This record gives sequence, structure tokens and C-alpha cells, in this order.
Amino acid sequence: MHVASLKLRDFRNYARLDVEFSPGCHLLLGNNAQGKTNILEALYLMATLRSFRGVGGSQMIRHEARGYFVGAQVVGQGVSEIKAYWSPRERKLSVNERPVRRLSEYLGILRAVIFCSEDLNLVKGSSQGRRRFLDLILSQTVPGYLVLLLRFAKSLKSRNALLKQVNPPEAELEAFTAELVLAGTAVMEARNLLVPRIAPLVRFAFRRVAGDADDMSVVYQPGFRGDLAVALANARARERLVRTTVVGPHRDDLLIQVNDRSALQYTSEGQKRTLAVALKLAQAEYLSEVHGSPPVLLIDDVMGELDAERRAAFVPLLNQVFRSGGQVFMTCTEENWPRELSQDLIRWTVQEGKLVAR
Amino acid sequence: MTRLPPPLEALVTALKGLPSIGPRSALRLALYLVQTDAGVAQSLAEAVTLARARVALCDRCGGLTEQQPCFLCSGSRRDSSVVCVVERPTDVLSFERTGAFQGRYHVLGGKLSPLDGIGPEELRIALLEERLVSEGFQEVVLALSGDVEGDATAHYLLKRLGNKGVRITRLAQGLPAGAGLDFVDELTLSRAMEGRREFQ
Ligand SMILES: Nc1ncnc2c1ncn2[C@@H]1O[C@H](COP(=O)(O)OP(=O)(O)OP(=O)(O)O)[C@@H](O)[C@H]1O
Ligand SMILES: [Mg+2]
Ligand SMILES: [Zn+2]
Repeated sequence: MHVASLKLRDFRNYARLDVEFSPGCHLLLGNNAQGKTNILEALYLMATLRSFRGVGGSQMIRHEARGYFVGAQVVGQGVSEIKAYWSPRERKLSVNERPVRRLSEYLGILRAVIFCSEDLNLVKGSSQGRRRFLDLILSQTVPGYLVLLLRFAKSLKSRNALLKQVNPPEAELEAFTAELVLAGTAVMEARNLLVPRIAPLVRFAFRRVAGDADDMSVVYQPGFRGDLAVALANARARERLVRTTVVGPHRDDLLIQVNDRSALQYTSEGQKRTLAVALKLAQAEYLSEVHGSPPVLLIDDVMGELDAERRAAFVPLLNQVFRSGGQVFMTCTEENWPRELSQDLIRWTVQEGKLVAR
Repeated sequence: MTRLPPPLEALVTALKGLPSIGPRSALRLALYLVQTDAGVAQSLAEAVTLARARVALCDRCGGLTEQQPCFLCSGSRRDSSVVCVVERPTDVLSFERTGAFQGRYHVLGGKLSPLDGIGPEELRIALLEERLVSEGFQEVVLALSGDVEGDATAHYLLKRLGNKGVRITRLAQGLPAGAGLDFVDELTLSRAMEGRREFQ
């Protein structure tokens, strides 16, 4: 799978960009604040319809402009022409000139995995980031998962709205609880199946990055034990007090451990970074395994943050990408680019919102 | 841009307020209406006024009608042992187009939606209960959308009507979740109706 062309209009610091990309490893070189990461952001946006920086659409509109346009031609099983326009008043998304009605139909056209400094939050941040990580992998691999997740989110919101009322109406509550239980149970089953599948990949990736010394594990940690319907019934008294749904998959977590201790509490900053990289490498490898071809890799400055030894952990994945005609985009500045990967790199200079082949 | 003559501006504003008409289409339509043959605009205006004055919701089923009650409610050739519960008046039209249903209808006027402040009191549920008694239906077919709110509404109705001695059925699976009945083609809709089953 690869992105054959990218077209930006009024996106971040790009007034206008039209560029074609071949498969292979693209190195985006340039000084700070020139627009390297913005390219990765646009590519990730095509894949997930979200910014990996966790910002809303309006921040991505070029200053003074009314809306942004991002278009891409993606070559996978077939060729897909994606067009996305976003402004505070209007959103348009089409694939091959046909408007996209449902998010679930869209995801999968471009699969991408981002490696960026925000990944550190996977280890250091709240459980929400880790649930998102699992949910993204599931949306990228299990047909129908996203629909399920959206159903769960809708029933949770509706149920919470009922609980906020002065006298929560029992019959309605029961109706939305039934929906919450159906979707929530399926969400938890999917997560419970996924984690043991990615766990060995995470573990091997961590060993490759960190060297052999430490052992890392990931374990799915549901927010409660047993049956969701029963757990909700038992929690009713507490819910009446706090006026919100207190049990369910929205309280799940992914427990990350190093040598059987919580990574959050017992690891150094450097180890946390390595853990985050291992999680993302595992995501990429798992997607390759499931789909038979690697996702597009978007690597933002991460190579610069790792020393040459730890960078070597990427080599098997990069080799796989080369062999299968996949694609990698890597950003770095002149000082920190990984010279040891210098063969077969397609180099670009990024300067003030322009991209020039070197 | 120079200002439009005020009456034209007012027309654009009125059109813009209509569903699925954006600012550009509103302007295009308005410009057309003021420049075309006067008769076109005149008959459009009359049609709008007349339709608005004559068409109302049927007191009984909540569908669109010119008489009270509507012909679907009064028609003696229809099967008066079964009532099909739908969300919106247009859903009645969707089912009528298929010809797969011969009973009566009942329009709820929406679905339970706590996020929009829509509870049972906002829907025509009490009226449905009255009709169960006065018209003696033996079967209630729930034909609601397959999204969270539609399913929760079905669940709620099952609980509320379930002990009233009527059979409650649901459309066969196959209605795409999230979409209203508008997006469902006639064949799918009639199959869903024919394959309706007991709802527990
Ligand atoms: N909405 C926007 N409109 C215009 N310019 C923007 C917008 N958002 C960000 N920028 C500009 O984009 C530039 C940053 O781009 P980007 O984050 O891609 O930099 P970078 O090349 O990755 O730099 P670094 O090496 O520091 O990571 C800054 O100059 C910033 O002012
Ligand atoms: Mg950057
Ligand atoms: Zn009627």
C-alpha cells in the first residue's frame, strides 16, 4: 500500500502543494518549523480522519484561510482517490468522487501507523490514550468494530444524559442500558482477544529496541470483572450519587509492565520512550500480519530521539516495507538523520511550506 | 458584493432556512424565481400555501393527510388487526410504496433521544396505547431505525406494551444501522416486513 500523490490547499503552512510519491522510504529533511511534521499530519489525517496531534479541524486550516483541502491517491488493492475538505461550516469527504456516508466504510482505504513524540503519552498518559490505541488497531483490523464502538459511545452518552436528569427515568434507563450492554460486551470481547495477539509482538519489539536485559508485557485490564449487565445493576446506587455510568469498557486499560512492575511507576524516561516505540512497532507488525502487507509508516523525528543501536530495531520492519513495495515517511533535521539507513532513501527538502526533491 | 434588492434578499433567507438547501442553492433558486415567467413563481407560491393549509398530520396515526382521519386509518379494506409503528410520516410512504404491508400505521414522531431531550412524553406513545385499546390490534410491528436510539425505543416499547396482551414483532434484520428508512430500497423493506419476527 502506498500514497501515490498528495495535494494540500490551505493546510497548516502549505498554501498549495502537489506532490507525487513512489513506494519506498522518503526522508523529509529540513530545519525546524518548516512543515515536515505537517506532511505526516496530512497523511495520517487521510488514514484516520484525525490529527495525531489531537487537535480539531480548525487548527489545521492555514491562518487567514476559510478551510483546508487534503487529497490523496492511495494505491492498495485498487486505486482510491480521496478528497477531504474541512471548514467550520462545511465538511466533505469523498472516495473516487463518491461521498462517504459512513466512517466505517472509509477506514481501511489507507492504513498508517505514526511514530511521534506524543506516543510517550501511551505510557505516561491516562488510560484513554491506551484505549484509543487498542481501538485504532481493532478498527484497522476487525470489520464492524468501529460501528460497534460508535454504538457503545452513543449509548454511553445517552445513558449518562438520563442519569443527569433530576429523577432519572427508570424505563428509559433500562432501554439504553440494554444497548450499552450489547455494544459494550462486544467491545470488551474484541479488546480481550486483541491484547494477547499483540502482546508477543510488543515483547519482541521491546527486546529489539532495548536490548535483551528487560522484559516487557502488556495485559488487558477490564474496568470490572464479570458480566456487564450484572456489574451495571450492582453499580446503580453509586450511579445515583455520581450521576454517570461508572462501569463499562470506557474504564478499561492496557497494563504495561517491565519486569513485572508497572511501567508507569518504575521506568526511566528513556525506557518509557522505548516502550512507546515498541507498542507502535507492534501495531505496524500486527497490521502487516493481518493484511499481508505493511501499513504506511509515518516516523516523526523518532529516529533522532533514539541512538543508533535502538534505531536498529526498525530495520526488520523497514526491510519488510521495502520488500513488499510499501512506503515510509520519515522526518528529521540535517543533524539527526539516521545515516546508517542511507541506501535507497528518497530525499526531500522541506522549506517554508514547499517540498523539493533532492 | 453589492447588496441584493431587499425582497430578493428576504427570499434567499427564507430558502436558506429549508432543509438541505445551502446558501448557494438558495441564491440560485431565488435568482431563478425572480427572473423566470411570473406564472411559475405564482403557481409555486399558491402550491406552497395550499399544501400548507390543507395537509396536516392525521389525528389518529400521525401520517400526512388532507382528511381526518386519513384514508389509511379509515380504509375498510386494510387489515385492522395489525399496526406498524414507525418514526416519521415519510416512513409510512416508504412502506406504502412496497405494498408489503396492509395494516394500519402509527407514527411516533421520532425516537427516544436523551441527548436531544426527547423522552416518551415527546413521542406519540400514549396515543398508541389508546389505539391498542380502542382498535383492538393483535399485533404491533416495530419498524424503527437500527441505530442505538431506534433500538432503545423498540426496547422501551416492548416493555411498555408487552403486558397488554398484544403480539410484538420487529422487522427482520437487515435494515442498515444508523440510516432512516429513506435509504432502504423497496425490496429490502418488503423482505424485512415479510420476515418480521417475535421480539423479546
Ligand atoms: N494553521 C496554520 N497556518 C499556518 N501555519 C501554520 C499553521 N499551523 C502550523 N503552522 C506553521 O507550520 C510550521 C510548523 O510546521 P511543522 O510542525 O511541520 O514543522 P517541522 O518542520 O516538523 O519542524 P520541527 O523540526 O521543529 O518539528 C510553523 O512554522 C507553524 O507556524
Ligand atoms: Mg516536526
Ligand atoms: Zn391516519
